[in-house]
Amino acid sequence: MVPIDLLKKIQFLADLPDDILEKIGPHARQAVFKPDTILIRQNQEQHLVYMLVSGSISINASSDTGQGLTLDEITPGRSLGVSALLGKFPATFTAVCTDTCDVVVLSADLMQQLFALDHTVGYAVMQRVARLFKDRMNTHTRQFVHALSVHPAINPV
Amino acid sequence: MVKIQDLKQISMLEPMPDHLLALIGKQAQLSIFSTGTCLFKTGEAVDTFYMLIMGQVALTVSLNPDVDVILENIQSGRTFGSSALISSGPAAYTAVCQEPCETITLSGSRMQALFEENHELAFYMMAGVARQYKKTMDSRARMIMKTLALHPEMKDCIHDIEKLTPSY
Repeated sequence: MVPIDLLKKIQFLADLPDDILEKIGPHARQAVFKPDTILIRQNQEQHLVYMLVSGSISINASSDTGQGLTLDEITPGRSLGVSALLGKFPATFTAVCTDTCDVVVLSADLMQQLFALDHTVGYAVMQRVARLFKDRMNTHTRQFVHALSVHPAINPV
Repeated sequence: MVKIQDLKQISMLEPMPDHLLALIGKQAQLSIFSTGTCLFKTGEAVDTFYMLIMGQVALTVSLNPDVDVILENIQSGRTFGSSALISSGPAAYTAVCQEPCETITLSGSRMQALFEENHELAFYMMAGVARQYKKTMDSRARMIMKTLALHPEMKDCIHDIEKLTPSY
């Protein structure tokens, strides 16, 4: 059980109405992870959503050719593994605690059971997920187009 | 009015129970477009959600005034224009029929009104839309990662590289 005040500190959940957060709270757990703990491994199926309360998490990804890239340092208030709420997807990155991390954890299976029983909660959360993913997809499209526009094959020096 | 059997050809609607498909069918229309028809352009407000029964639709963006890039070719069973179901924001791409296309269309504003009345329908549709965004998002991220792996010097050209990760 995680209190609603703590859930409101998570950006992913912050805009949801209190009555929805009150239904999510009993399904959430708080956990502390030591530095170097791997929370998510690239290409493995995700079952949990991690929401960082304090500490920091490093995000790394390997390309198809095996080259690694450090992409981001997650700060408190941000979430990882949201796509687990949609079903079984392999993770597209690896997430490692770089500090002692206080994290709110949601079980995707429990959340899916909640969504099936209470469609109002399911709609509110899925609408939030869809909007987040749409914005991110548009960002990826813009990044891809930008990468192409500066690509040496298109803009030879 | 569109039959449930026709709606079942759309992969996004596969998990949806028949009683919800019947509701969608009442709101849906069958439309046929000829080759070269531009369904919407980048920057235009989109109020129609398209489900492709037959044909192929190219989603394109302009790289510069001389070059257009095909982001994706949508084929039968797939959908596009999902933003009509969650907002009336501007289109991020241009959609052009590559061949004669048979589509099922839904009015975004009417569906959004229906979502407020029926949260079960709203949940299933939003989950479907989110899954589609997720697949496209991952596919675009892989393309960028592949490009960066081949040309690491380009990493400096992408200022918001942290947004390649699905963290929110």
